[in-house]
Amino acid sequence: MLLPTFDYSEPENLEGALDLLAHHREDAKLLAGGTDLLVRMKKGLLKPKVLISLKSLNELSYISEGADWIKIGARTPLADIIVSEPVQNNARALFQACEKVGAITIQHYRGTIGGNILQDNRCHHYNQSDFHRSGRQSCHKDGGKICYARENADRCNSTCQSDGATALMALGAKLVLMSKGNERTVDLDRFYTSEGIMPHQMEPHELLKEIIIPLNNAKSAYQRLAYRSAIDYPIVCAGVLLKPSHEQKDRIDEARIVVGAMGRAPLFLAQAASSLTGKTLDDTDAFEKAAHASMDSAATFAVHNVGSTLEYRCEMVPTVVIRALKEAAQAAKNQNG
Amino acid sequence: MEKREITLNVNGKPHHVMIYPNETLLDVLRDKLDLTGSKESCGEGVCGSCTIQMDGKPVRSCLTLALEAIEAKIETVESLANGDELSDLQQSFVDHGAVQCGFCTPGMLMSADALLKDNPKPDEHTVRKAISGNICRCTGYTKIVEAVLHTAQPQGHCSDCSSKE
Repeated sequence: MLLPTFDYSEPENLEGALDLLAHHREDAKLLAGGTDLLVRMKKGLLKPKVLISLKSLNELSYISEGADWIKIGARTPLADIIVSEPVQNNARALFQACEKVGAITIQHYRGTIGGNILQDNRCHHYNQSDFHRSGRQSCHKDGGKICYARENADRCNSTCQSDGATALMALGAKLVLMSKGNERTVDLDRFYTSEGIMPHQMEPHELLKEIIIPLNNAKSAYQRLAYRSAIDYPIVCAGVLLKPSHEQKDRIDEARIVVGAMGRAPLFLAQAASSLTGKTLDDTDAFEKAAHASMDSAATFAVHNVGSTLEYRCEMVPTVVIRALKEAAQAAKNQNG
Repeated sequence: MEKREITLNVNGKPHHVMIYPNETLLDVLRDKLDLTGSKESCGEGVCGSCTIQMDGKPVRSCLTLALEAIEAKIETVESLANGDELSDLQQSFVDHGAVQCGFCTPGMLMSADALLKDNPKPDEHTVRKAISGNICRCTGYTKIVEAVLHTAQPQGHCSDCSSKE
């Protein structure tokens, strides 16, 4: 498959990259590992005039740990995150998510966490070659007026299938975005537009610099379902976080439940999660109720566009949520000793 | 889009080539350097037949721009054999019947070689995980997994392991 033509820039540092972005704006795309961008370009979904390579920006590749945070540079390869002890021990959902992304030979050494979070939304009607799509009218995401995933939909229903974003949202992560002369920090659960065509609240001249994961004695877990154990995107996934109470170590102070691959953004399920506040780590009934509430919420957003059937994916939401909750609860119990 | 001259370090030798920015490393290896061992099958990173090593790590060459590979030590399947003498891993593939049509084989070898350099005596689960990004339509994977497993640890019960003693 051939790539379209483009100009290639290789800034030497972050400042250079920001200058180029400010200059080219919508005409440019950032190139990190290229495992999402180059595929979309080969399929003719994207034809940026300029690619700005991040290959020299080693300053964006790091994992550092503080007393109550872990900071990860956006250009950090997934392979580094997978072997990081701070992440394995204190942000386990992220470790589990990154391990499952793609396969060792595709994503783990070239793929970056920034690229995984910022991957475009997907739909099996849209993510096809030029030739395939030439057979029928363009859909919303492709510049047209129709949605093949949901009949009569007046908007794009493409799905966010990012493992990393689902896990990080469960962890309560924040993103640091930079542009020339400006830096802002945003909660990941406020970063999405809930819209399929441009899913991220991000300007064309902005660059993701860093992900901040707050640490507060909570335990997390991530579960995903996919056709095969590697290569495939998740068809349903869940990230959870359980924070035990300081005074009563077997009681849940705060819970976070995020369901991914079921909507235009990872679904942060506040109500389902808050039903767990005050419950014990052993309360599997409460976990079941929360998991079924998660399914009800997710079902309203999901469409049939990432494989399997909609019914199956919805039915599997409680399964992945319960598995993740039980895992996180066990980890919290082990922590208590 | 302008052509550029770049130098790629492939299998221990520097190669100077003129390329367009939109040429992938796979294109350059096959079309300009005549290293046709690496294959293009899907072109989108999901089959593994283009797998090569950059700085010892297995990567997809169909999704790597040649321009992105300039400072890396690139190794292709052609680097495994020493002239006519196959590497232990390659010989193990031959002995165990792990090659049928041969199209997935270069990619499998590069993924397996990267694993064995890091961990010469892996367990089966680790081998399967290491080649999980390489698809084979012929063999059903069993012989490939055995070939990789038995490279550094020949098994008495395996009739395919050639005795080295």
